[in-house]
Amino acid sequence: MTSVQLRQVVKEYDSLDQVTLTGYKNPPALRTVSLTIENGETLCIVGPSGCGKSTLLKVVAGLEFPQSGQVFYDDFDMTEIKPQDRGVGMVFQDYALYPAMKGKGNLAYYFQQHQHSQQEMEERVRQTSVLMGVDFDLLLGRAPDTLSGGEKQRVAIARCIVRDPLVFLMDEPIVNLDAKRREQTRLEIKKLLRKFHITTIYVTHDQQEAVFMGDRLAVMRDGVIEQVGTFDDLYYTPANLFVATFIGTPQINLLPAEITAGHINMAGQSWDLPETLAGALVPGKGRVGVRAENWLLSETAGVPLLVSHIERIPTERAAFLHGTVSGTSVVAVAPLEQPEVKSVLITPDWERVLFFSEKGEEVIYTPGPPEFF
Amino acid sequence: MSTANHIAIEHLVKRFQEKAVVNDLSLEIEQNELFVLVGPSGCGKTTTLRLLAGLEPVTSGRILFGDQLVNEVRPRDRNIAMVFQDYAIFPHLNVFENIAYGLRSRHAPREQIRERVPEAAKMFRIDHLLKRKPRQLSGGERQRVALARSVVRDANIYLFDEPLANLDAQLRHQAREDILLLHRAKGKPGVYVTHDQSEAMALGDRIGVMNDGQIQQIGTGTELYDFPRSQFVAFFIGTPSINLFEVEVQASGDDLTLVHPAFALELPPELSEKARPYTGKRINLGIRPENLHTPRGVDFPVNAGNTLKGVVNVIEPATTGCTVYLSTLEEEPEDFVATFKSRLPASYIGKEVPLAVNMRKIHLFEQESGHALLYN
Repeated sequence: MTSVQLRQVVKEYDSLDQVTLTGYKNPPALRTVSLTIENGETLCIVGPSGCGKSTLLKVVAGLEFPQSGQVFYDDFDMTEIKPQDRGVGMVFQDYALYPAMKGKGNLAYYFQQHQHSQQEMEERVRQTSVLMGVDFDLLLGRAPDTLSGGEKQRVAIARCIVRDPLVFLMDEPIVNLDAKRREQTRLEIKKLLRKFHITTIYVTHDQQEAVFMGDRLAVMRDGVIEQVGTFDDLYYTPANLFVATFIGTPQINLLPAEITAGHINMAGQSWDLPETLAGALVPGKGRVGVRAENWLLSETAGVPLLVSHIERIPTERAAFLHGTVSGTSVVAVAPLEQPEVKSVLITPDWERVLFFSEKGEEVIYTPGPPEFF
Repeated sequence: MSTANHIAIEHLVKRFQEKAVVNDLSLEIEQNELFVLVGPSGCGKTTTLRLLAGLEPVTSGRILFGDQLVNEVRPRDRNIAMVFQDYAIFPHLNVFENIAYGLRSRHAPREQIRERVPEAAKMFRIDHLLKRKPRQLSGGERQRVALARSVVRDANIYLFDEPLANLDAQLRHQAREDILLLHRAKGKPGVYVTHDQSEAMALGDRIGVMNDGQIQQIGTGTELYDFPRSQFVAFFIGTPSINLFEVEVQASGDDLTLVHPAFALELPPELSEKARPYTGKRINLGIRPENLHTPRGVDFPVNAGNTLKGVVNVIEPATTGCTVYLSTLEEEPEDFVATFKSRLPASYIGKEVPLAVNMRKIHLFEQESGHALLYN
């Protein structure tokens, strides 16, 4: 059990051989990154491909050394320590199995490398298979290439657990699995992480997966952490436009709007400015951010949404109307039974919308989490 | 019977050595239809697509484009356009030339190329990238080059082989719109292969669920979801997956109860007839996540005969409400999932909660065959 801290970490890859004929160099992979992962928590680092999340994980592991900054496990400065001496467990997207050995052999490999007694090894393997659940026993007798993708992944995770790591590092562990397998495997992983209370850093590009797995999330872009917090923090109080658009499916809708004295003008219509917003917004141009579930549908009032297609999701008891409002793409949530229509009238729930600056990424106003009682 | 653009597949078989990867597959695709083939890895969907394209020879069976039997026709003469998972765009050609490729290789007139290529590029928002080479493009942009290259052609059929699988999850949602844009622009049949059932549900006019080289069921997304004819289809379509429990059918007079170590649910009289032959036997009960409710919010009476208890393990926020992962209260707990319309507070994690089951919406399956009992 340990906390992990990155302090002002900068990581640049050798830029000499990256110079192209047009003189363009690769930007730093990590630009002064500071982050604390609490003892026992699962922190998901999420962001688009190339944002630096895997590099960050490698720096925590010791597979990469930063140009400047430090890595601490509790109060110990690990910055210069080799990976094998950090006590980390790593699970990668290509499973990291040693194919020549049978399942049990893969667990035993660690002990063979670290010269523990045969007895210690057997006991640890047995304990882990119990912790992993009954059917893991079946996995122990089988060679890796007869295992399915999901099973291989569980063996990889078991290898990590056997090492009793201080920190558990996972890099897109389920990205290569079929969508259905992913659903099943991620629940297994989540239950394991809960059970063992191991400090875990989980990297993924899929924000839905991050939301499911993480106690907290860190959203990254171009080597910078844009925001760290729980799902609620990021969803209801995003730090900037990037976080607002990255977290939440479907993506938040953005429409240009203008605030005048007492009114909001958007998509050719005008509404009275509610009390709650009047205090927070100054007259001028900006953009309104409306989440799909914050559109109110009506027969009589609102702006027309020209519907291009309806996506029905029975498990959510909702339909998503995909279309455009004044040429801008919009997705609005409707009841599951919504009839096929060419257009509907929609109005933002003004109590729930976010406001952004006209240009750039600044958040002018967020309503925060909704009140239930 | 058939228009020039109706596609028919009759008893198609493809064997690789001993194994029948496609095993007696028959289906018809209407003009204008985007038909999705969905199934787990190895089910034969990609092989089916490749047989349609002519990239693999057929072992037996017939493929017809309109009235024409195309089994022996070379891919290039079948006039198909295909969009691949790894885009398959040429690294040595710029975007313009990549889009133009199919037209150039068919010796299309210069004016046609000069007109159509920028139009296609504009449609997929890559008209500002025409001079770039693929290595200078993002994954999403490369995918749109592949789509533009297809839209520029006048093919008989458009084939899509998991085109979005290599894109980041967020881009995949946006790219679905581009796929629909291509399909609607051409008005020709399209066959789309994916392992992702939510993509199938979002894109398909009709969906064919495949497993082990065979079609399990064909229908619209709603038909497959509401009336799955097999346990396989019920489990595969819908996310989160349907909850499945092994139960024993017990009778007391005319009433039937589904008995499980953790619960006993009374079958409504209107469903009893189909389940009665299984009295004393074990069958599988399927309950969709949205048919498990907090007892307070429901419009049907709640009692011990339609209640299930569970411990809350994980609460996941969803677009509307939340998804709750629970396990049953028994020695060997079974996992199951419920979806709610409002967000359950985190304080419920680890707590035992009662859930009301909408017994009119359950599914029952025979164990050996997997066939659905309530409608077939």
